[in-house]
Amino acid sequence: MNYSNNKISIYRSVILALIFIVVGVNNFSCKKIENVQSIRLATEETNWKTLEDARANLLSVYGLMRSATVSDNTHWLMGDLRQGDFQITNRADLKSIVTGQLNAQYPVINRITNWRRFYAVVNAASLFIERSKQIIPLDSRYTQINNNVDIAQARILRAFAYFYLVRIWGDVPLLISSHDGDFIKLPRTSKEKVLQFATAELLTAAQVIPFKYGGDDPILPGLYYGAGWASWNGNIFTRLSAYIILAHIAAWQGNYLDAATYSKFVLDNYTKSNGSGSNGIVYLDMDALTENVNYYSPFAFKRATVLVGFPFEAGNGLSTANGHIEQLTLASPFIPKAQPEMFVPKDSILKIFTDPYDLRFSVNPANGLYRTNYFYNFTSEQPIFNKIKVIYTAQTSGNLTLFSSTMLFSRIEEITLLRAEACAVLGQRDEAVSALNKAANLRGTTPFDINSSTDLIDAIFQERRRELMGEGWRWYDIVRYNRIKNASGIFIRKNGTPLTFKQFENAGGVYWPVSQDVINANPSIVQNPYWQ
Amino acid sequence: MVKIYTSFCIALFLSVFGSQFLFAYGISIARMNEKYLVLQQDTTLKSKKDPSTFSVKTDTIGQMVRALQKFKTIRDTVNIHSASRVPNLSLQQIIKGNLAGVYVQEPNGEPGTEQSIIVQGASGLLFNKKDIYALQPAVYLNGVPLVADNPFAFDIQKYDYNRIGPATNLLSQIDINNIQSITVIKDPFELAKLGPNAANGAIYITTKNARGGIRDISLNTYFGYVTAPQVNTVNGVYENNFRNQFYKKFNPTGSPASYLRDSTNVAYFGPSNWTDLYYQNTPTFSADLGITGGTERANFRFFGSGTKNAGNADDTGLNRYNLFFGINMAPFKWLTVSSTVNTARLDRTRNKSLRDRFAETRYIPDLSSPLSPNASSYAAYLTENDRNVDNNRSTVLNGNLSLTAKVNKFVITTSGLFNYNEGIRDYFIPSTLLAGISYISNYFGYSQRVSINNTVSYKYDINKNHVVHFELGQSLQGDTYKYNYARAYNGPNDYVKLSFVDGNPTKDGADNPDYLNVLAKNQFYVFRYIDKERNNLMSFYGSAKYSYKTLLTLSALLRRDGVSNGQPDSRWVTTPAFNANFNLKEQFLNGNKAINALHLSASWGRTLRVFQDDRFAAGPQYRSENGWEEEPTIPGYGGLLGINRPYNSGFIGYNISLPFADRTSVALDASFLNNRLNTAITVYNRNDKNSVIGLPVPVETGYSTEYKSGMDINNKGIELLVNGSVIQKNNGLNWNTGLNLSYNQNKLSALPTGINELIYQNDNKLEVGKSVGSYWLYTNEGIYNSDAEVPTGRTFNGIPLKAGDPKWVDYNNDNKIDSKDKVLTGDRLPKFVGGWNNTLIYKNFDLNFNFIFAAGQKAINQYEATRYGFVNREAGNDINSVKEVSSWQSFDNEKNYPIYNPWSPVDPYRTDQDLFLESASYVKLRSVTLGYDFSKTSLFKKSGGKIRRAYVYATALNVFTLTDFSGVDPELINYNGIYDGANITIPRTFVLGFKLDL
Repeated sequence: MNYSNNKISIYRSVILALIFIVVGVNNFSCKKIENVQSIRLATEETNWKTLEDARANLLSVYGLMRSATVSDNTHWLMGDLRQGDFQITNRADLKSIVTGQLNAQYPVINRITNWRRFYAVVNAASLFIERSKQIIPLDSRYTQINNNVDIAQARILRAFAYFYLVRIWGDVPLLISSHDGDFIKLPRTSKEKVLQFATAELLTAAQVIPFKYGGDDPILPGLYYGAGWASWNGNIFTRLSAYIILAHIAAWQGNYLDAATYSKFVLDNYTKSNGSGSNGIVYLDMDALTENVNYYSPFAFKRATVLVGFPFEAGNGLSTANGHIEQLTLASPFIPKAQPEMFVPKDSILKIFTDPYDLRFSVNPANGLYRTNYFYNFTSEQPIFNKIKVIYTAQTSGNLTLFSSTMLFSRIEEITLLRAEACAVLGQRDEAVSALNKAANLRGTTPFDINSSTDLIDAIFQERRRELMGEGWRWYDIVRYNRIKNASGIFIRKNGTPLTFKQFENAGGVYWPVSQDVINANPSIVQNPYWQ
Repeated sequence: MVKIYTSFCIALFLSVFGSQFLFAYGISIARMNEKYLVLQQDTTLKSKKDPSTFSVKTDTIGQMVRALQKFKTIRDTVNIHSASRVPNLSLQQIIKGNLAGVYVQEPNGEPGTEQSIIVQGASGLLFNKKDIYALQPAVYLNGVPLVADNPFAFDIQKYDYNRIGPATNLLSQIDINNIQSITVIKDPFELAKLGPNAANGAIYITTKNARGGIRDISLNTYFGYVTAPQVNTVNGVYENNFRNQFYKKFNPTGSPASYLRDSTNVAYFGPSNWTDLYYQNTPTFSADLGITGGTERANFRFFGSGTKNAGNADDTGLNRYNLFFGINMAPFKWLTVSSTVNTARLDRTRNKSLRDRFAETRYIPDLSSPLSPNASSYAAYLTENDRNVDNNRSTVLNGNLSLTAKVNKFVITTSGLFNYNEGIRDYFIPSTLLAGISYISNYFGYSQRVSINNTVSYKYDINKNHVVHFELGQSLQGDTYKYNYARAYNGPNDYVKLSFVDGNPTKDGADNPDYLNVLAKNQFYVFRYIDKERNNLMSFYGSAKYSYKTLLTLSALLRRDGVSNGQPDSRWVTTPAFNANFNLKEQFLNGNKAINALHLSASWGRTLRVFQDDRFAAGPQYRSENGWEEEPTIPGYGGLLGINRPYNSGFIGYNISLPFADRTSVALDASFLNNRLNTAITVYNRNDKNSVIGLPVPVETGYSTEYKSGMDINNKGIELLVNGSVIQKNNGLNWNTGLNLSYNQNKLSALPTGINELIYQNDNKLEVGKSVGSYWLYTNEGIYNSDAEVPTGRTFNGIPLKAGDPKWVDYNNDNKIDSKDKVLTGDRLPKFVGGWNNTLIYKNFDLNFNFIFAAGQKAINQYEATRYGFVNREAGNDINSVKEVSSWQSFDNEKNYPIYNPWSPVDPYRTDQDLFLESASYVKLRSVTLGYDFSKTSLFKKSGGKIRRAYVYATALNVFTLTDFSGVDPELINYNGIYDGANITIPRTFVLGFKLDL
């Protein structure tokens, strides 16, 4: 030990001790390093534990389905444009859809032809069906009945997603479980098989699901997730929703016998969803249909009149710019915008709305005044289609171009008209006429005379065209109509070649091409032959 | 790990106390005397004899410091002497072209906007802004690894032009006049020592620090102007003439866009003189004061500066206030305590461009009437802009406290480092600017890093020739990132510039339904976002360095890092590093007079890389992702939060392990001719391995991507440094020159699961063997002038091609042009970068000029693509339809493109073709400085020599550019290689400055 070693002073020891104490105390252990729980996400360890987890996961399936149907305004681009009543002001991508150039190279077309968004619903629903039952033993608040009803809703959503997929693309891959973390590549399954699966699922779910949630429904009495029917109505699917989707699947398949049965069930039972604090389901008058009048407007609020649909209530912070028909159809003076992106030209309006007493649109031949419920500035080059105008907090005009209109698939008039269609096809003329007149009862039009020589099918589809304009139905109605009529005339020309509807359908023309991105990711998907 | 740590602490205790207790009794009397001696000794004298005794350890980069000393001013350090005369604002600007192997991108001339640094090639992808954040090197300021903004905020953004919040370049915080050295650290061994923070390389900044001696005061100031550029303005006539050629050829009956119809409309057809209001010669100035003083036992440095930096357009600027305080104390001979604190406030005045505003508001009003090129109309618009509120304030605070104790042959250092950055932005737009609604957003966010480092080193002399240094270290680092952000629309009027809620629980005796309700009627419509993320890093390392005389050193390092952002089974990783240094001069050329020094060194090291996001640690997860591309942040359903699998952002499974970088580097450096010529040549090879990438999965699973580990990227390159005194004459002309030149080759070397190529998020392709910066494009070969020229049946993605459509190459000869005919071409990053810095000194004059260059990178000219594709652009009414006022100009070197049919459904002016791909190589004369030193004149000499320096200079910045690029400036290209012409030009700046040292 030399001298320098003895230089250690008491101060030095104390300070060094302090250093190490500071180091020792302030450092956390390695265990603590690892235990940084993310507060930004839920993991497999934290999800599927409580009642709230069940609710959050179930509602997300609804949210995903809502996004799938409205993203990039898909519902209207696919439903209302193709051979529809709308004309496009400027946008080349929309023009391509109108002219049937569905494989045109535009970002929006590329996005809407990617079916991933519907499969996100399928996957989320499958996960919910597989996993939600884990919660029952962990949280006593989450009962078996509650879980059964939740799973039934997930089944309906999944079936609904498949119906959408088939309507748009025809044959699509059928995945019936989540394959969680396993990325299988499946080819297309025939559309009949897919719809068969969807129908079976819907029928199973329809046995479980109530007419209303959180009310006095004997199937599910008491509050649902702590809330009553008034807050759930219009938001989530009921037994009526299941039957409406069933009816539409049947009608799409040409199975009008089932379509008639299912739609009859809806019309016979719809009052069962009324009460328990809800305003209930009614046939809409014009104020509720186009002027956002409270209590019944299916577009402006989450109301029981939304039989199948997904609301965007402003009061829930859900107003958006994209995802609403208003973005495409409204312009000044409703919102600060020079021109609408699409409009129904004057000639078409006059051709479609022929009844001089039609409250939706008619011109008084005496003074030339016209009704503005559907069309504003009718006399101009670009009449504004203002039937649906839910701006911000359900205003009918305003500067804030965030819209809150519900994505509405079906309301009582729609299912009534489907019933009329089914009965008409089945030859039940009385039933059909009565349903048609019931649906149009509040529109001021002259009722259809049962003895009229006018083609009943034509009349029903004409009424659908008027009543459901801008609700994403037109193209699918055209397809069903032509299937029923099976006309031999030229339906379309493809690169100059004339095609009848039958030839067109057999070639796959009814269906959309699938985005190249889908095929790149799964080469076993074959492009729709019509678009190859 | 807990046990290891505990035993490590115990070992440290024993190293101090254990040996002492053994002889504590015997030395108690001597200790008293010693204490007395310590307090009494004359430190000034003593330290002069042995300068190492009190030298303050400011960094741990031993190898680097040695290299610095050897080369004086070159070898990967910025020439601070010449840099301090250039009115740069940010670190990126200072180092641009002046550090070998470092590529700086300055995509915007707006002061204080984000800029990117890439060291020795890209270690990851380059497709979105998050990717660019992940490529940035660590920047150390006095040993504090500065925490950067976390890109997680992009999760809630629709457009990633700017991060929400102030989005200020935080590396603008340091004033060049307070900097001692800036060094880029690329050596694998040194990087391994720095650990996972430095996986992308490191920039090591040392400020001028406290030191003892005579009091030293320095005062620097400059004043000057950023100048407005010369612009050829155009109006509606020019635009109509341009468009007429399309109408004439393809759409004779079509009518032009509504704003171009009325040629009597002065707003669009009057004089185009918007430039008078848009571009301004704007003053820029700065002043700073540095004081250093004290004794050898206790000394300090204070530095304060204020800078007003300005852009030449749109009234942009940045005010910076920087304070620095450093202190060193040696309470005992064996103990030094030193601390530095650096703080800065950055107030940024942002541009008023439409694109940035709409990207922030996520609200695009009707764009059918663009801004007018006429000054009187444009003035009305600017008047409305005056009612904006746009406060952008970033406050940064960082510093350290370190204690170094020398005990026998042990040196024990413990230091605490802290770094806190806070950003605030308040943004209000009146309803007159946003189609009738007002908009407000508020942002508060911070990034925080706290760390504690402990090292103990021991020098063991085996004998005179053989010495071994041992070092053990441990560090703990905790990062926290947080922001609160709210955007709100449609306030009650333009005077209410605050969004608030009703705070009264009751109203008229009843419960208030609007209590704390952000969606209450007649108030702003509010969307709120809150996010927070934490991650921890714990490290241990041990290293040994063996030296044989001055001939050879061999070093080895082993470290173990634990990262909270890793998955539980792969959080802890052990990585080694080695270095050998061989003095060739001494071994072989001892008598050679021409060669003064010759060293060969080789290093290999592995560095762990930490994920920026905590998602990867979680495995399969659920998030609130209910939206879609246009509306990415829908919170849930029916007023309740929903959670679902991350279908939009991508599936994350188990088996994701941490990425790492393997570096090899061999360097040869030499000095010749009495050290007048110094050269260094470095060859490197870096493999960034096991990175995570989103692989496309069948979309039928609900996802479009699945994240997997296993992407490897290789970067190879050569760097050359030459520094020489070309002319050296006392009292005559002196010319010092320094050249750095680096070449980089980037290559994707592997993808997960052994696949060879993948289409990444639909628009890009990655292929093993190709650069990750490659573009994926159709090849354009001209135009089909008639339908007859189109090969029969040729389609473009199913659409038959017609006259007026582009002739795209059908590579696979299937008569269908589709994504299979897209090829990888061009590169977003340059192959060559470098700079050439020269100083000429004649008597008291000196002249410096600095060239920088980058070559081999290409850009997509989206500006021209949208100009030619005006039909789709104007019909779209989206963010790409925005026409800025600055687009009312024409450029001299604009290229002419074929006149295609812009109404064609094939979108002939699409940007994913090589038509718009062009070289963005450039050479710039970045700065010229002429200075005169008065202190050498007789006038000052007479004054008694109190003034050590009085120096006056004039600098011109961004003097000229040589380039083939057809846009304004080849640097103004966005991170993804897209040139959209929306960014403000990099101004030419002239300043006069004065430096005074007392």
